[in-house]
Amino acid sequence: MSINNFSKVVIVAKDEWRYWLRSKLAMTVLAIGLLLTLSSVVVTAITMLKLSHDRHELQSNAEQSFVEQPDRHPHRMVHYGHYAFRTPSPLSTLDPGIDAYTGNSIFLEGHRQNSAMFADQRQGTALTKLGSLTPAFIVQTLAPLLLILIGYSSISRERESQTLSYLLAQGTSGITLIAGKGLALLSVVGLVIAPLAVSALFTVSAGESLLAVASFVVGYALYLTVWVLLILLASSVLSKNSGSFTALAFVWILLCIVMPRVASTTASTAVPSAGKIETDFAVKAELRKLGDGHNTNDPAFKQFKQSLLKKYNVNSIDELPVNFRGLVASESEAKQANVLNQFAEQRMQSELKQTQVSRYFGWVSPMVAIRSLSMIVVGTSIETHHRFLRETEQLRFDFVQGLNKIHIEELDYKDDMNRNADAAATKKARVSAQNWQILQDFNFNVDSADVRAQRSVPAFLQLLLWIVVLVGGIKLVGKRLL
Amino acid sequence: MSYLITQLMREWGFLLRQKYVVVLLLCSFILSGFAIYSGLSEVSAQQQTIERLKAADQSDRAKVQKKQSDAGMLAYYSFHLMYSQPSSLAFAALGERDIFPWKHRINLLALEGQIYESDAQNAELAQGGKIDFVFVISALAPLVIILLFHDLFASERTSGRHDLLVTTAKSYFALWGARITVRFVAIIVCLMLPFFVGGFIAGASGFEVAYVSLLCIAYLAFWTALSVWWGKNATSAPRVASSLIGLWVLFAFIIPILGDLAINKSVDSPKGGDIMLTQREAVNDAWDLPKSATMQPFIKEYPALAPYIDMKSEFEWKWYYAFQQMGDLKAAKLSKAYRDAAAKKYELAGFVSWISPPSLLQRSLTRAANTDSIAAYAYEQQIRDYHQQLREFYYPWLFYQGDPTKASLENMPRFENTTQSGN
Repeated sequence: MSINNFSKVVIVAKDEWRYWLRSKLAMTVLAIGLLLTLSSVVVTAITMLKLSHDRHELQSNAEQSFVEQPDRHPHRMVHYGHYAFRTPSPLSTLDPGIDAYTGNSIFLEGHRQNSAMFADQRQGTALTKLGSLTPAFIVQTLAPLLLILIGYSSISRERESQTLSYLLAQGTSGITLIAGKGLALLSVVGLVIAPLAVSALFTVSAGESLLAVASFVVGYALYLTVWVLLILLASSVLSKNSGSFTALAFVWILLCIVMPRVASTTASTAVPSAGKIETDFAVKAELRKLGDGHNTNDPAFKQFKQSLLKKYNVNSIDELPVNFRGLVASESEAKQANVLNQFAEQRMQSELKQTQVSRYFGWVSPMVAIRSLSMIVVGTSIETHHRFLRETEQLRFDFVQGLNKIHIEELDYKDDMNRNADAAATKKARVSAQNWQILQDFNFNVDSADVRAQRSVPAFLQLLLWIVVLVGGIKLVGKRLL
Repeated sequence: MSYLITQLMREWGFLLRQKYVVVLLLCSFILSGFAIYSGLSEVSAQQQTIERLKAADQSDRAKVQKKQSDAGMLAYYSFHLMYSQPSSLAFAALGERDIFPWKHRINLLALEGQIYESDAQNAELAQGGKIDFVFVISALAPLVIILLFHDLFASERTSGRHDLLVTTAKSYFALWGARITVRFVAIIVCLMLPFFVGGFIAGASGFEVAYVSLLCIAYLAFWTALSVWWGKNATSAPRVASSLIGLWVLFAFIIPILGDLAINKSVDSPKGGDIMLTQREAVNDAWDLPKSATMQPFIKEYPALAPYIDMKSEFEWKWYYAFQQMGDLKAAKLSKAYRDAAAKKYELAGFVSWISPPSLLQRSLTRAANTDSIAAYAYEQQIRDYHQQLREFYYPWLFYQGDPTKASLENMPRFENTTQSGN
């Protein structure tokens, strides 16, 4: 485009702004849009920062109370257990994603993998079923509607008031006209995204990488650009204001309100995933084969016993230099963890498959694309929850095996076997509270920005495809604009 | 009479010739059909899951009962399935069942440690929201109605026919009434027909179907009246639609969101984690306390067991289960406060929904279908009651009767899920 053409585009854009400034509707819509975006940014930031602070505090409390436990039998601490809390990522102030829909704390104990508990939604009012005051919802769902209200008549208005043919006859090409109107709408996009961008930049100081911030802002800019192009196309193709408006409103309902839900519903019907209780039957059957680690006489440990006697070259378990009960506990915990992890991994894979199906809908709805993109980049998607589950399992396994090691090395076998005889014997079968220091600090962090950016590539491609197709369509229409 | 029919037939012919009206009606029909279809398949999946779980639960417990004979071990390894059956209207209002768990498996250990376990759906799908009939009617139908009715007058004005039509029409009804009636009936049929079919398949009672239909039609009539009235004197159709859509945004999003914020600010709720922590500390401390510290408060709850609390060893199952229950008792106040806060929030949300028609419809229908949080908490109460029954079944064996015979295990209380209708 030559300089001359570009300056014409700017003139058209300025003129469109002049029209908006004089129109009550456009100004009201713009004001409401900015107000909603701003307030959602502020409200969500406050909520998420408080959540983050609360969970950090709960985490350090949990660690403290574990370490402060008195002298005890080490296996008692295995059942005392530990808590882990999922602290939200810095960018989640802009898109809390699944945070409220899945439990944010998990109880870690020996022999089992618990599910995450206390999803915030369960304390909810059920009022926010349709949407919530988060920047993600406002910009994904309501901003396109506001753009439609401002822009539906951008070309059709000129046609209806017969100024279009006049403009075209004076040498302004159709493309230039559309580009100018587009530029004006893009400036509105800029206004809507500005609060998001500023807030996103703030998270850099909280340790978020620039790559994530950039992908987030660019993603939303691309998404709203898709809508600008859709509006320009409808307004150019349809001859009347009312036709353009009805068509755009209809497209908005379909893409923003209907499609995301169709995606979720289709995903859960297409890839049914068995719940935890159901898979737990299979897990328990597998675990039963491994034997009960509390019971050293369980036949399942016969072979283990033989190999131990051989290894230490002794005739009975009493002669072992280490605590046999601890060894059995440790051995069975490791085997159990293997089985549990295998099933947990299967569950996560089937959840991922479901999510994948719903994300494919991004090819037909830019709203689905930006929803996935946003949650992935921010670190509030299902992958983050899976990472939390994997990390907490590692934490669980480490502290349980740490305690089992203490059981093996620090507690005499005979004292241990005798522990229920009387109060004194119970007291003797204890180890010092000093040992509880084995607990590692847990601090949950989301995947690195690179990993998240990589995951978001399909969603970016979906948005780019929309843009390419729409630009192609507009070029076609622009040439024969009448 | 025939005059009336001619008017209506004429308008019906007009309607069929307007392409965008036909497209809108067709889309409404398809969406409503999809919502009903997916609702039905979701509900049948839930029912099948429950049936599978029931069978697996029974055989699993049978295995445990075969392997274990000690009362304490039996109670430790026997898990019991509890579930909440979807009601016959659940297909139309899936409600909160994707957030609240509707199935549990619980043993005799402290209940507060087990009841919050969530066997919920994929969180990312739950966040996206599901499409069910309630959603179609409460959120989408108003938009369709706005698109159908906003230009009733304006389109005739812009095409310059309005005044001519008004002066030549026999009566107000002959012209506008007939047009409104035809469009309204068409949209009702498109939206409600799939529901009737679904209701028939799911075996909903005639009363239930009629009640839901009444609510839905009243709701749709409200939006129709609003759209017609708003557009009466307008000349620019898009302007009417913009303000109506603005109103819809206000009702469906802004008011509920603000209400939610205000309610969450005003109702104090204990943190869920605190209940768990209290319960855990109580249970774990009991190991190190003198046995009487557990047994004394325990026999206050069960005076009949008082003669049997002496212990021969440092570990006996009766003491173990007693301190589990005492752990629950310690957390009971917090747990009650937690539930009360949730109930209070839901109640307050009811007031907010009176100024937000979409929320009001959602509440009424999920109540009727028994899929709201009231139903979820009623189910939670059923779990608590059943767990208590189990305790009362096991305690005599644990305290004085010795190991239960296989025959006596047959008398173990069974979990009965009662899905009561919401109205």
